[in-house]
Amino acid sequence: MVKDQDYVAIFNSIHRVMEAERLLKGKHLKILLIPAPRALASDCGLAIRYAEEIRGEVEGALAEAGLMPHDVYKKNGDQYQKIEEES
Amino acid sequence: MKSLDVRGMACPLPVVSVKRALESAQGELQVLLDDGAPRENVRRFAEGRGFQVQEEAVEGGFALTITGAEKRQAAASPERAGASVLLIGSDRLGDGPEELGRLLMKNFIITLLDLAELPDRMLFVNTGVLLTAAGSEAIEALEALGNRGVEVLSCGVCLDFFKKKETLAAGGVTNMFTIAESLLQARSVVRL
Repeated sequence: MVKDQDYVAIFNSIHRVMEAERLLKGKHLKILLIPAPRALASDCGLAIRYAEEIRGEVEGALAEAGLMPHDVYKKNGDQYQKIEEES
Repeated sequence: MKSLDVRGMACPLPVVSVKRALESAQGELQVLLDDGAPRENVRRFAEGRGFQVQEEAVEGGFALTITGAEKRQAAASPERAGASVLLIGSDRLGDGPEELGRLLMKNFIITLLDLAELPDRMLFVNTGVLLTAAGSEAIEALEALGNRGVEVLSCGVCLDFFKKKETLAAGGVTNMFTIAESLLQARSVVRL
């Protein structure tokens, strides 16, 4: 479900991730709410998957709404690379 | 040697056809198919089940020769004969808020992709068919399951009831005869 170069934003609260999904879908952004990949979360976490092309819009909208994810990863081949916050 | 021509078929029909043919084939099976997704999906499916695959470019596509024995069948005990069937009778998983139930059902279908052993068949009835129609967020996962040999079938009457017959987006249409037969002949049925 997560393709190479896709981004995955992990949320630890179901209410926040569902709110984030509603927000992003309301902006007609092509995202998908998925179970957090097992490699990234051992609990019943949820994640939002999006492509590089809409990364700015997705993360901008989440930041504006105060719905920043717990962690963001980018898939590189078979590995997930954690995206560190830009200071 | 049994042969099968799946050229021109849309995904996941090549994999489903090969799966059916392998169930009845003795010895080798030769499959003529298009290059690209059908070739990759059939090869991955057959190798995943323990068969050996040799391929050769032919006019208008590729010929795959599938030989050997399915590992799962060879190891299976007699009581494990027959298909494992998932009966999905709702677009929601569990009782409770609709939004949560829909999310859980979609997550369940996506999570199947991470499992080593997949069901042989998924039957969608009642509001379950809303998952296989256009607009459903489970389509991508259902297509991927289809490409791994899972037969995805939706109840035709149910699609008709919800006016989704023209917008079926994953798998095929089935009828109550096939549904009843599948359930009664299955080695295991999991109902959601």
